Amino acid sequence: MTDPTTAPPDPEGKKILMIMTSGPEDPDKTYAPFYTAALMAAMEIDTTMYFLMHAPELLRRGAAERVPLKKGGNLKMFIDMARENGVKFLACAESCRDLCEIAEGDLLEGVQLVGSATLADLALDADSVISF
Amino acid sequence: MTILGGCEFPDGLLYFVERTQMTWVRLEGDTVLVGLTDPAQTRAGKVLHVRIKAAGTARERGKPLATVESGKWAGPVMSPVSGVVSEPNPEVEKDPTLLNTDPYGKGWIARLKVTHPDEVNDLLRGEAALAKFREILERDNIHCVRCQS
Repeated sequence: MTDPTTAPPDPEGKKILMIMTSGPEDPDKTYAPFYTAALMAAMEIDTTMYFLMHAPELLRRGAAERVPLKKGGNLKMFIDMARENGVKFLACAESCRDLCEIAEGDLLEGVQLVGSATLADLALDADSVISF
Repeated sequence: MTILGGCEFPDGLLYFVERTQMTWVRLEGDTVLVGLTDPAQTRAGKVLHVRIKAAGTARERGKPLATVESGKWAGPVMSPVSGVVSEPNPEVEKDPTLLNTDPYGKGWIARLKVTHPDEVNDLLRGEAALAKFREILERDNIHCVRCQS
């Protein structure tokens, strides 16, 4: 447990993998992961979000604008903020093809399609894995 | 003091304006004081947490000097020049809303010992700075507000 009275070690250079499984069907579960990832990247943590199951739907062009947030606005500004801060987005090719029926060209620019084996590689390589 | 779009820009400061960054710099001999400008604190919203790099941390120009989070925005405050953090502001770490209520005063973020003095020449000043801010405020439709602590 971190002692709150002492400064935490600088996380610069650490790697975090964030696994995202929720899509637009559950808007309340979409905002916090992007916000947290944006913050981590700002802290110079090498931050990757891996989208599988229905989560790749969030990366379909024009989809984030249609995900309303309880605090107002929509998800797009948080996706933009995460990307602006340097978060990498990877989408599971199998989920895109079989569940979401998204073609690579329908994804936001810069999203990389990868296979499931990549998830194993990333998880083993990361300092920490967070699942949403 | 110049006011544009309700945003205050004190005289005598230098400004680092690149991508999403809008910070001010006050020259103090071989050190600089760094903080968020009025439009930067407005865009962030009421700041909930700020984490500043520890004293002794070397920063290259454009590398994060601090992180700021408000619930609606989370991002880095980039170092406007290369240097070594000589003093993070402990007051804003205790009360982050100082960034909103007094961005050019008690809300300063860090003091840096400058290691590449020539980089100071790249910072914006005077009319060039105001012209740049005028463009950004119009483009992003920013009108400054100072939330209360």
